[in-house]
Amino acid sequence: MRLRIRFSKLGKVRFVGHRDVARIMERSLRRCGIPVTYSEVFSPRLRMSFGLALPTCYESEAEYLDVPLNPELVQDETVFCTGWGQGEAYGPTELQQALNEALPHGFDVVALTIEPRTKGSLQEAVLSCGWSFDIVGAQSDDVQDAIDTALESSVIEVERKKKNEVVREDVRYGIHELRLDGESERGPMVIAELSAKPRVIRPSELIEALAPGAELGIAKRTHQWIETDGQRIEPLTLSNSTTT
Amino acid sequence: MRAYDGIISVQMTSLWPRLEPLLPRVEKPARYIGCEDGANANIYKPDATSWLLTYPDTYEIGLPNQGLQILYELLNERPDAFAERSYAPWTDMEAQMRAADVPLFSVDTHRPANEFDIIAFNLSAELVYTNVLNCIDLAGVPVRAAERSDTDPLVGAGGHCAYNPEPLADFVDFFVMGDGEEVIADITTEVEEWRQSGKPKGSRESVLHALARIPGVYVPSMYDVTYDDRELVAVTPRHNDIPANISKRTIADLADWPYPRNQLVPLTEVVHDRLNVEIFRGCTRGCRFCQAGMITRPVRERPASQVREMISAGLERTGYDEVSLTSLSTADFSGIEDVVADTIDDPGTCGRVSVSLPSLRVDAFTVGVAAQVSKARRTGLTFAPEAGSWRMRQIINKLITEEDLYEAVRSAYSQGWHRVKLYFLTGLPSEMDDDTLAIADLAENCVQIGLEYTKKASVTVSLGGFVPKPHTPFQWFGQNQPEELRRKVDLLRNRVRKNKRVHLKWHSPEASTAEGITSRGDRRIGRVIEHVWRKGGTFQEWSEHFNLELWQDAMDASDLDIEWYVHRHRDENEVLPWDHIHAGLHKDFLWQDWQDALAGYGIEDCRWTPCYDCGACTEYGIEHVVASPAPPNGGSQGTGQDLATGHVVPVQLRPRAEVGGTQ
Repeated sequence: MRLRIRFSKLGKVRFVGHRDVARIMERSLRRCGIPVTYSEVFSPRLRMSFGLALPTCYESEAEYLDVPLNPELVQDETVFCTGWGQGEAYGPTELQQALNEALPHGFDVVALTIEPRTKGSLQEAVLSCGWSFDIVGAQSDDVQDAIDTALESSVIEVERKKKNEVVREDVRYGIHELRLDGESERGPMVIAELSAKPRVIRPSELIEALAPGAELGIAKRTHQWIETDGQRIEPLTLSNSTTT
Repeated sequence: MRAYDGIISVQMTSLWPRLEPLLPRVEKPARYIGCEDGANANIYKPDATSWLLTYPDTYEIGLPNQGLQILYELLNERPDAFAERSYAPWTDMEAQMRAADVPLFSVDTHRPANEFDIIAFNLSAELVYTNVLNCIDLAGVPVRAAERSDTDPLVGAGGHCAYNPEPLADFVDFFVMGDGEEVIADITTEVEEWRQSGKPKGSRESVLHALARIPGVYVPSMYDVTYDDRELVAVTPRHNDIPANISKRTIADLADWPYPRNQLVPLTEVVHDRLNVEIFRGCTRGCRFCQAGMITRPVRERPASQVREMISAGLERTGYDEVSLTSLSTADFSGIEDVVADTIDDPGTCGRVSVSLPSLRVDAFTVGVAAQVSKARRTGLTFAPEAGSWRMRQIINKLITEEDLYEAVRSAYSQGWHRVKLYFLTGLPSEMDDDTLAIADLAENCVQIGLEYTKKASVTVSLGGFVPKPHTPFQWFGQNQPEELRRKVDLLRNRVRKNKRVHLKWHSPEASTAEGITSRGDRRIGRVIEHVWRKGGTFQEWSEHFNLELWQDAMDASDLDIEWYVHRHRDENEVLPWDHIHAGLHKDFLWQDWQDALAGYGIEDCRWTPCYDCGACTEYGIEHVVASPAPPNGGSQGTGQDLATGHVVPVQLRPRAEVGGTQ
């Protein structure tokens, strides 16, 4: 059995890097006494696997974490806690609540399931991500024109640092959706769905094409999409959610 | 839970909107956001004395500092005060801040530093002094105390380096000597009066005068320094109601202070990223090079039951899987094995919590402790023999035998460790090349022991250049020249070069020189620190930023001589720049101990033997608080062991050398 968690990362904590997020999750799981499992090596590590890593400085409403559970301590949808949670038996709702109390401000479990383990990692399964971001130092009209031009053309070249060199690359193939969505206090807001295969395309790469000389404001991941039986779905949708 | 941003109190100026756009441009932006578990988001109190507790190094180094965290909690528990924290921004962030005209800020609520009543620095190392100046400047406060206006924040400083306050005397309004737990209340009360008066013209002088009357507080601007040419003659108070000698503050019983209760859990990785529980303060081992062991006397143990509670509650609250039992010599704690075993066996830990024991004395690291510690995850093991030869260890009074070290190392390898780290000093008084080379012998013998248990056995030797510190028996010793330290490092490098299992690391001899300038400097060294800072010399603790030339140029520009400040032996009658600061130790006790050192005599730990009257207890009417009437496992500082040759004849008890004979 495993725990699948969808969580958000909003506000100041967007500046916390991916590895640090992993450590924060570990501490929170231990505080709740969730019956996690450990790798059996010289220096055992808590087993868990994330969806796609989120770049530092980005917010998210759609981060995923899978945590394998000790099968002896799970029955139906009830988890029997150990350690600091000794004596607690949690269903998904209580577990979500307990984790939220253990997590730092800014991190929030928005959906959670206790389900059988499946093969394959989430990280490899994600095909594309939904994003919303704003642009600092640009006008909405100009961005709208740039979006129209970009979507009509067959090539969208972006610059990207690759080890020690800067390469130019066409990313038109990976732009599934791109549209203006009003304005924030910083500037025009854009909604996009960008491919995660063969590599993750980030909103920051598009700024040059959308508003030369401008800067990315705050970017937020809104979805991670996978495919099951030919259907494009999210690993956990917010309708499963028991958030308050 | 809502995002943290929404919770911030609205009554204060928050720099966050101006800071936020800078963060994507810098390395490790999480250093600047705060949001730690245990930090109080509703920290602000409208009518209270505000403290900005500042650590003048990076967030990663400063956040775990226990002293700062204790004061943070104590101040925030008070109705008449609140405290926030600040750390030195890394160079990339500083450049962004200066370009955007953003001043130094607190990480708790991102309030500008100059809105606080007090900016208080923790001084853990001398090479951070230029960062202190940089932080004051970034706060928008004049760097020199004399140039501050009545309404500028008061700049305070405490911590171990405050015991020689003179090099920073021109920049710091007040220093605090010793334990901070009680004195912060006295300071808060005086500053409250100043704050409520509206800080009118002339009020700064009055509040400083009031602070100078608080025991343990030193206000350098209220003291005149006189020189006779180069020689320091005296440091004398300018008012007759402030003390000529400033004595440190000492809390009598650690049991009354179970802090921090809510250790801060940072969101980004820091050094010592684990639960830290202070199990005792003070040390009477009497290692003569060790300033911490001298100035923090007497020994005050926390009751074992309280240690257990703090560990258990702390692990449950933080979710950490590692706890460090901190002190100057952790294995000396009465019943250390029980505390370690209880922690590891606590059902809450699921057997997954590792215990780290810093400052491990080799004579108390037994197979029992090793086995307990290794049950969960094996943390790094560092032993500190400090010197390679028995002769040298008698001189520095680190009376551990070679056999003690080998037994400790055997315990480690037999319990599954592959590598141990050994810490040594070089450049010690009367050190000869044989003493330095003996370090290699010890390391190679340890490797041989390791090979009996694992093919991967290795030893890392970490070598530091010795810098004499104020308030120690070695305060009169002339530090080795950097060339001499370099020669000794090379000697050892050549000796162990062929042994692939001995890894040698060494501290920069040049950095030791700069540390020497600031460590035993007088008030004139302030000009040097300011010069180095003005030339961009911040983060001097960091090898990528350290530059000895800056210090040499600054000494030349101030017409001061490195040889005189750093490498010269002092004599008994010389007035030392810190003579007016009392850490409890009688100067004649220290001088006698210096003479004993030169004569090669060791002295025992006074916890379990008669008192030497060093002054630490008798001056303050307090005593050691030690739970066990017997020394810990493996003997302690010679008690009950045959030590004179390392393992044969008992150590002599207080054999006093002829005074003045060996300088």
